[in-house]
Amino acid sequence: MHHLAIDRLTASYDGKEQVLVDVSLQVAKGEIVSLIGPSGSGKSSLLRSLVGLLVPKSGEVMLDGEKVDYTNRKSVKALRERLAIVFQQYNLFQNMDALRNVTVAPVKIRKRNAREVEEEATALLRKVGLGDKLHAYPDELSGGQQQRVAIARALALKPDILLLDEVTSALDPELVSEVLDAIRILAADGMTMLMVSHEMALVREISTRVVMMDRGRVIEEGTADRIFDNPRTERCQEFVSKILGH
Amino acid sequence: MDYTLQWGQVVGFTGYLIGGAWLALQIAFLAFVGGVTIATVNATVLSYGRNRALRTAVRSYVAFFMNTPVLVQIFFLFFALPEMGVFLSSYQAVLLGLTLNVSGYLTETLRAGFQSVRRSEIEAAETLGMSVAQMTWHVILPHVIRVLYPPLTNQYILLTMTTSIASIFGLEELTGRAYNVSAETFRSFEVFSLSAVLYVVLTLVASSVLWLIGRHLFRVKARLV
Ligand SMILES: Nc1ncnc2c1ncn2[C@@H]1O[C@H](COP(=O)(O)OP(=O)(O)O)[C@@H](O)[C@H]1O
Ligand SMILES: [Mg+2]
Repeated sequence: MHHLAIDRLTASYDGKEQVLVDVSLQVAKGEIVSLIGPSGSGKSSLLRSLVGLLVPKSGEVMLDGEKVDYTNRKSVKALRERLAIVFQQYNLFQNMDALRNVTVAPVKIRKRNAREVEEEATALLRKVGLGDKLHAYPDELSGGQQQRVAIARALALKPDILLLDEVTSALDPELVSEVLDAIRILAADGMTMLMVSHEMALVREISTRVVMMDRGRVIEEGTADRIFDNPRTERCQEFVSKILGH
Repeated sequence: MDYTLQWGQVVGFTGYLIGGAWLALQIAFLAFVGGVTIATVNATVLSYGRNRALRTAVRSYVAFFMNTPVLVQIFFLFFALPEMGVFLSSYQAVLLGLTLNVSGYLTETLRAGFQSVRRSEIEAAETLGMSVAQMTWHVILPHVIRVLYPPLTNQYILLTMTTSIASIFGLEELTGRAYNVSAETFRSFEVFSLSAVLYVVLTLVASSVLWLIGRHLFRVKARLV
């Protein structure tokens, strides 16, 4: 049984053109699946619809064999306890310091013990290299640091699967590596991830599988080496050669 | 210029003038609280309301109070309403007029604040599992307060000054009392200088207190002066 199974998912914004067309995709426990594809191909839309920000029109999402009902608030809430997402634009709460950004959901929503959560959050922030920034506010942090807080915030909910949407694309080049390092640490920990990334070195290094999307569809799927060195479809060839720069 | 300053006579009225300042403070405070309350409802309707007629009504309300002089509005309440059988004391008319007037301006301010909440922060809150109420409490309100704090402080200060209009309706607030003292002592220069100082004290105290609260409670960044 797959951890996360997406079956023929279809979605659109305000009933317009379909941005996801019959997308099927599985993620097993411990896997790191990378989504690649040109801009506008629906990668973000897929992640957004998985967490219920964009309600799918048809198709199914199953978590450990259980079907998610996106029209049911309880079902979505339960889903969000298991899937966490980090966006391209870190989206930290500006009125809270780093530590509180990380603790607010576990304490206020999950009603967990504040002390305990704080200890865990501190450990998480240390892990992503921000042990000395616990009480800094987002506007006092660099983009890379904010993005690492956002990753810690997502992890604090102990999700089964972490969704990452181009978490380094909004960063200045010199800040990218610190965030990539944080992702490597998670990979080494065995975190299950579904990530959109244009960092091909990272994708090749940590992905167990790479999925190529184009115009709302999954057009190719395979190991990183296979997709990069031996793409089958023309679209994939084109994209890969463009992004690898040859 | 053979005008010699004579403070002696006037200084004796300081207590009397401070009493007037106290009334000015009261009027400003009450009108502001009332204005913020009305404006919050208005801005909510404008930002999130689905009812078109209601939105149009609020927009007209705002346009009316922002485009007519507050003095005329109070004249209307005080002199025109009695003809329709509604009698307000001068205190009531002034307070109500200032409240309605400031609520028009505050509606615009609050609406801008509501609109400045980043859609992305709301989405983050949503995916972390927050309900609408939790989101409002933990994310939207703190943000709105932080953004709106400086302009609201400014409007409060402005309102304090506008309370001097009350003297026209015979209210013994600071300006009214200054006028009385001036009429009695003929030391206009000294009296109105003293009352100007008292206005400065009123607004400085208010902005310092508000600044301290804002800085420590809401992490507002605005500078004091
Ligand atoms: N909020 C939105 N409203 C309407 N259309 C959108 C919105 N976001 C994305 N789209 C459209 O959906 C398609 C897929 O976009 P997206 O999922 O962001 O692609 P990607 O992440 O692969 O770049 C694009 O055609 C884009 O214009
Ligand atoms: Mg995208």
